[in-house]
Amino acid sequence: MDVRAQIVMVFNLDKCIGCHTCSISCKNIWTDRQGAEYMWWNNVETKPGVGYPRQWEDQERFKGGWVVDGKKLKLKAMGKGPTLASMFFQPNMPKIEDYYEPFDFDYGNLAGAKESKDQPVAEAFSQISGKKIEEIQGGPNWDDDLSGSQVYAAKDLNLKDKKVIESYDSMFMQYLPRICNHCLNPACVASCPSRALYKRGEDGIVLVDQEVCKGWRFCTSACPYKKVYYNWNTGKAEKCIFCYPRVETGQCNACAHSCVGRIRYVGVLLYDADAVEAAALKGDAELVEAHRDVILDPRDPEVCRMARENGISDQWLDAAVASPVYALVKEFRVALPLHPEFRTLPMAYYIPSLSPVLSTWGDTHKLLEHGMIPALETLRVPIGYLASLLSGGNEGVIEEALKKLIALRVQMRAENLRLPADPALLKEAGLDEAAAKRLYRLFTVAGYNERNVIPPQQREEQDPERRKQEAGFGILKKTRGGAK
Amino acid sequence: MLNSFIFIALPYAALALVLLVTPYRFLSNRLTWSAYSTQFLERNILYWGINPWHYGILPILLAHVVGFAFPGVFKRFLGNPQTLLGVESVLLGLGIFAVLGVLLLLLRRVNSGMLKRVTFSSDWLILYLLLFQAGTGIYIGYFMRWGSQWYLHTAVPYLWSIVSFQPQIEYVADLPLVFKLHAACAFLIVAVLPFTKLVHMLYLPVDFLKDPPLLYRWRSK
Ligand code: HEM
Ligand code: SF4
Ligand code: SF4
Repeated sequence: MDVRAQIVMVFNLDKCIGCHTCSISCKNIWTDRQGAEYMWWNNVETKPGVGYPRQWEDQERFKGGWVVDGKKLKLKAMGKGPTLASMFFQPNMPKIEDYYEPFDFDYGNLAGAKESKDQPVAEAFSQISGKKIEEIQGGPNWDDDLSGSQVYAAKDLNLKDKKVIESYDSMFMQYLPRICNHCLNPACVASCPSRALYKRGEDGIVLVDQEVCKGWRFCTSACPYKKVYYNWNTGKAEKCIFCYPRVETGQCNACAHSCVGRIRYVGVLLYDADAVEAAALKGDAELVEAHRDVILDPRDPEVCRMARENGISDQWLDAAVASPVYALVKEFRVALPLHPEFRTLPMAYYIPSLSPVLSTWGDTHKLLEHGMIPALETLRVPIGYLASLLSGGNEGVIEEALKKLIALRVQMRAENLRLPADPALLKEAGLDEAAAKRLYRLFTVAGYNERNVIPPQQREEQDPERRKQEAGFGILKKTRGGAK
Repeated sequence: MLNSFIFIALPYAALALVLLVTPYRFLSNRLTWSAYSTQFLERNILYWGINPWHYGILPILLAHVVGFAFPGVFKRFLGNPQTLLGVESVLLGLGIFAVLGVLLLLLRRVNSGMLKRVTFSSDWLILYLLLFQAGTGIYIGYFMRWGSQWYLHTAVPYLWSIVSFQPQIEYVADLPLVFKLHAACAFLIVAVLPFTKLVHMLYLPVDFLKDPPLLYRWRSK
């Protein structure tokens, strides 16, 4: 057993309102630079939808992630020999059209236009070529809220039955906020011939060393989540840095901090680094359980002993015990990995969304079963859809999580309205009253310090010089494109 | 006069630049050290330009370098006329391949909106130099037969005399003008190398071939 710590984010999809505040705070801090205009280290997608970049989930095209080859894992894209042969041209790299040509508006014209009969307008122009754009062709959330669209939503690979979105009675919508998952088995790291990408041993954050990166771009296609971006201005790869300068000082990430729906939780998980490869080799349907098995119990004295041996401090062990992430992922088993079948062991977890609670459409949705709350079988979001997103197709895993969420709702509704509660429902879902209280608290009133338990790292004491150089991502030296 | 310029002044200037500026750039600003790929912005023409160019030029460059380093081996190897013919034909084919590639690389930058933003004068310079270099190379290969033989008796001893700081330009002084231009352009390319994106050729990563897939960095270890 090789105990390591990882800092992890959980998203409660039920509560995401799709406001994009998270994306904006991230952009303002990290990617408001030349060459990074199109980068959205945090983005929010409408599901069903094609996502960003368009159809990123299509690994037949982008060849991201790992596949099992006999008893071994290999990168889906290529082995080491073909890597050498593809140094000159990246066959699977997304092109700018898969994202969008970044644009801005000529606001100066509003004030500076010559006097004329017509109102001056701020025309769009390309942030790359500088040329006027007559018609904007795309944007970071171009299919926002279009979950019934035949152009976008129908191309969602998770949607097996396209009929669902054709009728108002059955269509559904939810948001999917995404950052880099800071995976335990990161394909981006494995694909880099220059070894510029690395995983930090202390907290698991995956970073690109800008000085080592030579711009070969294997990572941009190897990441199955398309969370490594190519900066056309510096000629190097960049990705979400989990706001490490903030996290190191015990503050939570900008996206989580600004989240309007308060859907995000940040905390520590302990895991067994020796078990990672075996977990990634499991069959699709067993992957969620394999994830849970890699995660270790911070209350287990043996785990704590080995953790200390590996240099994990008591402060971190305390944080691991208090971790909301551990509670949601391992104790309550309601938070699930996004597309575990890509086999990178992503360390961002999602609580699947319940469907809307409707009050008047009793007959259509058979709401009366538990009072007002729809039963598992009548949920509007197809379980198969959620399973395709969050459990490698294993519907049992999704049902288990949803049952808990439904039972919790029924229980809390009864409590609030002073109705008789049905303890059998909780029990059947694998919860008791104390557990329900804790979950309820985490989902609703938990404050900042309960949702985010982030132990500081005291880096200023470890290596102040390097710390000073690293903090702040802005490239200060002159790059080739001349941008500061 | 022309001879001393091309065969003495140029090579020493090029050597000085490449030996001094390259490490300086490596140590002072590694952020600019890359092939500065433009595939993200334009990939269709790039595919047909970049692959022929590299797959054409790399073996040719390798042949030049190995011929320079181990002339004896090559002399024996090329002694057989059949081998000589084979080697020359292959190299000529690769050369044509490379020229077509670099021509496409040049043309794709003309009038391309987005590429314009990432095209600098140094890009035009190296693309023109390389086109000229590969073009004269093909001309020499075709019209001045058995270049891979006489290269070993003329240019190679001359180059050795340069690196041992006893320049003997008699070896090459009487060769036709096109050869002199080919040599001059080669020295120019070496001279501009450290200032341009050509530095990428000095860094072919091979460590990863033996490394385990995942890389960790520890602050404490
Ligand atoms: C060591 C092996 C080499 C590797 C791995 C390599 C790789 C690359 C890569 C990745 C690009 C960028 C292509 C893009 O825009 O996406 C490139 C461009 C280029 N390479 Fe190489 N290269 C190598 C050797 C060479 C050599 C020996 C030469 C010339 C003598 C050369 C000349 C060029 C030129 C001129 C470009 C620019 C093309 C353009 O921007 O239009 N390369 N190379
Ligand atoms: S999600 Fe992040 S860590 Fe995982 S493969 Fe992609 S870039 Fe790498
Ligand atoms: S800020 Fe929160 S609620 Fe708003 S889109 Fe982002 S994750 Fe969703």
